[in-house]
Amino acid sequence: MGSAVEQAVQLIASGDRELLNILSVTARMSLSSSLIALLLGVPLGLLLGACRFPGRGLLLVLNRTLMGVPPVVCGLIFYILFSGVGPLRHFHLLFTVEIMILAQVVLITPLLTSHMETYVAQIAGPVRETAKGLGLSRWKTFLLLLNESRYPIFSGYLLGFSRAIAEVGAVSMVGGAIAWKTNVMTTAIMQYTNRGNFSLGIALGLILLVLSLGMNLLLSLLQRKVAS
Amino acid sequence: MKKLLALVLALSTVLGLLAGCGAKENTAGTTTEDTANTETTDAPETTDNTAETGTEETTDDNSGAVVVDLTILKEADDSMLNTYSMIAVNPEAPFTDADGNAVSDVTINTAGADALMHWLLLPETMELATNYGMEEYGNTLFYAVDGAPTYEGEIPAATDETKTIRLSTTTSVNDSGLLAYLLPQFEEAYGYTVEVQSAGTGKAIEAAKFGNADLILVHSKSQEEEFVNAGFARVIDGMETERLSFLYNYFVLCGPSADPAGVKDAATVLDAFAAIAEGKYPFISRGDGSGTHTKELSLWPAELGITEDPESFADYTDWYTSANAGMGACLVMAEEMGGYILTDKATFLTFVANNGVME
Repeated sequence: MGSAVEQAVQLIASGDRELLNILSVTARMSLSSSLIALLLGVPLGLLLGACRFPGRGLLLVLNRTLMGVPPVVCGLIFYILFSGVGPLRHFHLLFTVEIMILAQVVLITPLLTSHMETYVAQIAGPVRETAKGLGLSRWKTFLLLLNESRYPIFSGYLLGFSRAIAEVGAVSMVGGAIAWKTNVMTTAIMQYTNRGNFSLGIALGLILLVLSLGMNLLLSLLQRKVAS
Repeated sequence: MKKLLALVLALSTVLGLLAGCGAKENTAGTTTEDTANTETTDAPETTDNTAETGTEETTDDNSGAVVVDLTILKEADDSMLNTYSMIAVNPEAPFTDADGNAVSDVTINTAGADALMHWLLLPETMELATNYGMEEYGNTLFYAVDGAPTYEGEIPAATDETKTIRLSTTTSVNDSGLLAYLLPQFEEAYGYTVEVQSAGTGKAIEAAKFGNADLILVHSKSQEEEFVNAGFARVIDGMETERLSFLYNYFVLCGPSADPAGVKDAATVLDAFAAIAEGKYPFISRGDGSGTHTKELSLWPAELGITEDPESFADYTDWYTSANAGMGACLVMAEEMGGYILTDKATFLTFVANNGVME
């Protein structure tokens, strides 16, 4: 482990071009996929948590099932769909960052939806009562609900981001771990491990953790500011 | 209050980590520089390079150095020949989707594949490839196949349509560093971008059958012939056959230096494998459908009946380990378990030169 820490520092200090490329691809993939998933998951979560409509129970069960889809299965489905012989071949998306983001969005959105739904279901009743008491319109009630959900939106984004940055099964299938193009931190770690270079794998893992920590600190600070 | 405390704690952990690393960084920097220096000065005299850097490491750095005990016990045997071939993918091939329906309009970059294959067959490139490894490992890792096809013509520069070439290859080619050494020169000279996907031969060929590669570079004759016979291959300009075998090296049988099975004294490689099986000495198999795995399966005594099917070696699990992992990871496993292993020489030399890890 000691040598891994040394290697990690050396790697960062040397400004290795390939490492920088891997970091930027990782950042691009995890930031955009968690953002898209947030934009989809929050409204869906609000809808499922606050509204009562026929089929809601079924949607909930479906969403919870999707939460359990193994990433590698999701990756395999996308691989087959976007392969040179697959039905969606004309998009020419296989082995690009875009399809990695797409696969991640499919994996993360159910998590965010469920996260929002659990919270919103708890506060929807009281919020509705208050709104009724104040005689607020439907739109204002919705805004109040959204305002009350600031905290879980932040924690939800972090949940999605953490999942995205740590994911390996799906992104290695659809991205192909191509150097300079679709190789991210986790797939690079896989590659080094497959070659038996465990300490470099650990070194990259440490860098990944430090990045994740930095992102968490940043968002936690922001969250406290917005929530107070 | 609690939140603040947690934040301060987390921050101090990070700072402590960075400070600790900073202190170590200096010593770490110098030791690696030292080794790097000895390596570069050693390089020209080539002969005992690997052994020397090996001892250097152990005296220099006693924290995590591995002294590699695995040694080559059997090599340069005709049954261990490892021939690398490249095959261009045919855009008119009988592609089928996952449900078995025919697909006719698969996009294959034929011009790009032609350019790369022609470039690899240029006499200059062949010379680069056959000299590869001399500087770093004091040993050539690849030899030119006798009567290999050569190309003397022009190679067109990349256009927007032909720019990206998808090469599906095996882990052993990629891990030996040959492609990382050759391809940048090709990309720089002609403006192409080669996207390399590496996996075991089985998966590398499967990727091409799924229309995800413009050419393949693999080392498993039977699987290559199957690919050609199924109509997935294409004869490129100026060549006579689909399968272009151009480089070769040898698989080597490695094991602990003490060699408890007496492999070194066996008359042939087949006898050596029989001796390992008879004495039930630990053996690490790739077990991943790769070219190395296919070769290994062909070397066991027929009466054992070892095939790719896990059922076939269920009775031998006390000594036969099917790892389902890359070459490097299997070498580490063999080293740890004191087991025997079949590996391509290029990966093994890289493994030893890096003191038990792969760069």
